[in-house]
Amino acid sequence: MKIEGKHKFQASQKQIWDLFMDQRHLEKALPGCEKMEEREPGKYDVLLKIGIAAVKGTYRGKMEVVDPEPPKRYRLIGEGSGSPGFVKGEAVIELSQQDQDTIVSYQGEMQVGGLIAGIGQRMIGGIARMMVGQFFKKMEKELKSQQ
Amino acid sequence: MKPGAFEYFAPSTVAEAINLLDRYGDEAKIIAGGQSLVPMMNFRLARPEVLIDINRIKELDYIREKGDELLIGALTRERDLESSPLVQERCPILAKAVSFIGHFPIRTRGTIGGSLVHADPSAEIPTAILGLDARMKVVGPSGERTLEPEEFFLSYLTTSLEPSEILVEVKIPALPKKAGWSFVELSRRQGDFAIVGVASVLFMGQGGVCKEARISLGGIASTPIRAGEAEELLAGQILNEALIEKAGQKAAEATDPDSDYHASAEYRRDMARVFVQRGLKEAWNRVKGGQ
Amino acid sequence: MAEQRRIMVKVNGVGYEREVEPRRLLVDFLRDDLELIGTHVGCEHGFCGACTILLNGRSIRSCLMFAVQADGAEIMTVEGIAGDGKLHPLQEAFQEHHGLQCGFCTPGMLMTSYEFLKENPDPTAEEVRMAMSAVLCRCTGYKQVIDSVMAAAAKMRGK
Repeated sequence: MKIEGKHKFQASQKQIWDLFMDQRHLEKALPGCEKMEEREPGKYDVLLKIGIAAVKGTYRGKMEVVDPEPPKRYRLIGEGSGSPGFVKGEAVIELSQQDQDTIVSYQGEMQVGGLIAGIGQRMIGGIARMMVGQFFKKMEKELKSQQ
Repeated sequence: MKPGAFEYFAPSTVAEAINLLDRYGDEAKIIAGGQSLVPMMNFRLARPEVLIDINRIKELDYIREKGDELLIGALTRERDLESSPLVQERCPILAKAVSFIGHFPIRTRGTIGGSLVHADPSAEIPTAILGLDARMKVVGPSGERTLEPEEFFLSYLTTSLEPSEILVEVKIPALPKKAGWSFVELSRRQGDFAIVGVASVLFMGQGGVCKEARISLGGIASTPIRAGEAEELLAGQILNEALIEKAGQKAAEATDPDSDYHASAEYRRDMARVFVQRGLKEAWNRVKGGQ
Repeated sequence: MAEQRRIMVKVNGVGYEREVEPRRLLVDFLRDDLELIGTHVGCEHGFCGACTILLNGRSIRSCLMFAVQADGAEIMTVEGIAGDGKLHPLQEAFQEHHGLQCGFCTPGMLMTSYEFLKENPDPTAEEVRMAMSAVLCRCTGYKQVIDSVMAAAAKMRGK
């Protein structure tokens, strides 16, 4: 499924770039992220515990920042698997300055497979959108904690 | 597959059930009808360590009339709602909505409380409840509180119930005799999940004027939603075909559905328009020609 | 993990007392613990209807209930609808009108129509179609199922 959208931050482009490259902030903002370890520069191992209501799952995965062009754009590749299923995705993230604000726009593809994909198919799209929304909300919080 | 192992309790009072919830917290799940929970457990998507079976709390299974309200215990079976003369007379839209839920044996076990707390955005009972000024009575360790539908439904499968709270009752104002109503749904087969479901209520005034309209859509967002602009379009108006057509369009324009296996976003949105129009026409027919 | 619970159920008029793990599904209890294999396990999520039985006189999906929840209940399975060594009119009708091919959904069809005809002894074909849509059949195309139920209904009304 396609995932795309944008979010406006009240900060400079450089500040937002640094925020998004900082593991400590990503770890707090990623939904359900329990652990995030940088194996090599730009390559992370993640442990996520996500769930809705009674459906909870633990996912082990990898995230990689690819082709970074600071402070404008980068590609993010991720994948994770757990007992309810697996997730694979790729997105292009672009930053642009608009007056005093920075717009982060993202465009990507996500594949979900396994049990949750079959049974949860009706809601997966909406839930994915919701989680992306939660991620940006948390990044806002991280931004505030810096300022 | 078969479900994972769990500890099992079958309390016989609400107080006992709340104590158990409080004690086991995150590990525990309430089971009422089980028609949504057990499939998830059979797939091992849900693996509660503790199951609190409230089916023995008979005091939660009732349908009563109190003045102009229906009081329905959370454990009331969907099948009983469907066939209840009281519900058919005082809140027929609920009986109709329930008739779309799965199949008959599912409705034998499924409960009104379970459906509301499960909060599937395509579910019929939440969709109907949203259009009805219903209030949900909820009990927890710190006492009782009452929630309106907009406060109750938060998101996919998520309500504002605190971890140790139990829904005990649903209060629904009876529909006035003159009111028009309908519940319509699009699904691939009878009993399947709604691609879009619409509950419509028309509160009528003098001279064929629609005082107030309620249009509640399920299957279109992360919770059931009201088509506020479409409702405003009809308020205070004498109904006619053109107005209903426009209301359907307005209702659809305000939606932002996702695509899934069964329907693309565009199709879903267009079907929202079609089914709002059909629902309103049916509700209006009920006003004009009686049931 | 959890200990066994002692439960008592009456199935087709016979009382049983057994010990079960809480997670034992009712359908598996009937089939494996009581060796009543007439009830079938299909989808395990309530959709196909092959597991349909009557619990205290009302049809349910036995794959969506735990055996411990049925403690004290009266259950009827497909083994219980024949009486006095004779087939029930529904069973005879399904036989005469080819209401089954592979037979997998048939226990569900029989229990569903058994209850349905109790509530509605003189149904229209449309009503039968609506009721029988609760059970998934991949063989017959449903026409013979509807015919069988209509024929049984007529026979049971004494025609």
